[in-house]
Amino acid sequence: MLDSASSSRGETASDDTVATSRGLDPAKISARDVERQFSTEDGELHALGPFTVDIADGEFVCIVGPSGCGKSTFLRIVAGLIRPTGGSVEIRTRGTTQNPTAMVFQEYSIYPWKTVLENVRFGLDVAGVRKRAGNERARAYLGKLGLADRERARPDTLSGGMKQRVSIARALAVEPEILLMDEPFAALDAQLRTVLQEELLHLWQTDQRTVVFVTHSLEEAILLGDRVVVMSARPGRLLASVDVPFDRPRAPEIRAIPEFARLQAELWDMLRREVEAHLAEQAGMPASDG
Amino acid sequence: MEQNPRGHRRRRRAIEITLAVGVPIALVALWQVASTRGWIDRRLYPAPTDIVDETRTQFDQQDRWHDVWVSTRRVLLGYAWGAGFGLLFGYLMGMTRLVRVALEPTLNALYTVPKLAVLPLFLLIFGFKERPVIAVIAVTVFFFVWIQAMAALLTVPGGYREAASSFGASRWQTFRHVLFPASLPQVFVGLRVAAGVAVLTLIGVEFVFAPGETGIGYVINQGRIVLLPRQTYMGIIIAALMGVIFISIVKLVGRLLTPWAPNDRAVERG
Repeated sequence: MLDSASSSRGETASDDTVATSRGLDPAKISARDVERQFSTEDGELHALGPFTVDIADGEFVCIVGPSGCGKSTFLRIVAGLIRPTGGSVEIRTRGTTQNPTAMVFQEYSIYPWKTVLENVRFGLDVAGVRKRAGNERARAYLGKLGLADRERARPDTLSGGMKQRVSIARALAVEPEILLMDEPFAALDAQLRTVLQEELLHLWQTDQRTVVFVTHSLEEAILLGDRVVVMSARPGRLLASVDVPFDRPRAPEIRAIPEFARLQAELWDMLRREVEAHLAEQAGMPASDG
Repeated sequence: MEQNPRGHRRRRRAIEITLAVGVPIALVALWQVASTRGWIDRRLYPAPTDIVDETRTQFDQQDRWHDVWVSTRRVLLGYAWGAGFGLLFGYLMGMTRLVRVALEPTLNALYTVPKLAVLPLFLLIFGFKERPVIAVIAVTVFFFVWIQAMAALLTVPGGYREAASSFGASRWQTFRHVLFPASLPQVFVGLRVAAGVAVLTLIGVEFVFAPGETGIGYVINQGRIVLLPRQTYMGIIIAALMGVIFISIVKLVGRLLTPWAPNDRAVERG
């Protein structure tokens, strides 16, 4: 799957880049007029684009947009899971790791037949890392996510929050240059979500990896992101790209700052029209998420 | 509502166990009394103790162990061939779309053929020995295992495959780490059902054709011919035991190989 997309995920450098929040750094990910059509029983579905965005090295970008706007589709294109039907996505890799990207999914992604340790080691097994070295690396990430004493547990004995920690540890264990997260906390209850957001903030601030984080929650996007990218209703296009002005390291307490609420209101204003557009369209078309 | 939930649950459990064990015992006791007292015809409905006596003499004098062994061998060989090919075709067709498209209509059509109906053909093809018996059992088992294995692969949640692809897993790696283990619980459902059906088929075939005039199905049918209903009862009980033991073994192996899968009892209890 990864190979199939590498043609559009090359390493060419172009200088006519759209400005990113990091100014002149060459973009880590350059998406140019990315489009994706799906053929369904009801005909062609234009799910995404043309969508253009640049994401800088080490940047934490959150993508928000109405349901079905193609934000998850975009993430899958970056991950090489699906190919764009138009445009291109270029990823500048340092070429030091086998996996330029790793993904954390919303659900159904960790394997119930593997222990926690085996799940975290999965990406390393696939990459052909020797078992001993794989175990060592997997344990290091289990430790970082507070799962050190659960390595032999089977996932069905874990809570939802624990499962997502395993999923995050598994993605980080392959030490990807870009971490892709597809609504990773959406299935968790509100309190657990807050705890995991805090952990992710902490983790990222010590590690500064490029992260593309898709979410429904504006609050989550502002709390976590250096920048929030707002997408339009389907087919999703870039609507706005808003820098989040809060300093790092951040703590969840910034939610209480008036500036936070103001930013949230500003983004919501933009999004509301799109959500309404989506609802209007939904009345005439079958729902589809992506 | 309930003042003492633990006590309540224990009491309910005790009642359930008493009923589950007590009812069959009561039925057998009733049968015994009805038969010995002559309420029912003892020749057609021999008392349970009569059947036990008959079984004892037959195993002592006529070496029924030989019949048990011959039948067991037929079932196991037929099952092994059928399950082996069932798994092979199920996995191949589940993994490869083109193979599925090519073979599914044919197999679906053959699926509806009563397997006993091909026995005469198998007799002509394989000769009047053990092989046609084993072949009919194998063909029956094949379809149960094939269908479940293929369905198991096709219903693996897309998220599992996607996660594997996201780490760049090859086709073989995806199969080994994801599709194969994900399919196992359902495959074992098929293997378990097939184990029961294998014994059913065996008995059916042995009614019609029992090479060497041996086998439990032959013994059952012969009880009718020689007007010895006790022998038929004995054979029925042996066949049932063979089925239960076989199914239990397959179930146990399944449990051991898929410890993560919810087992039936847990599902029943909610």
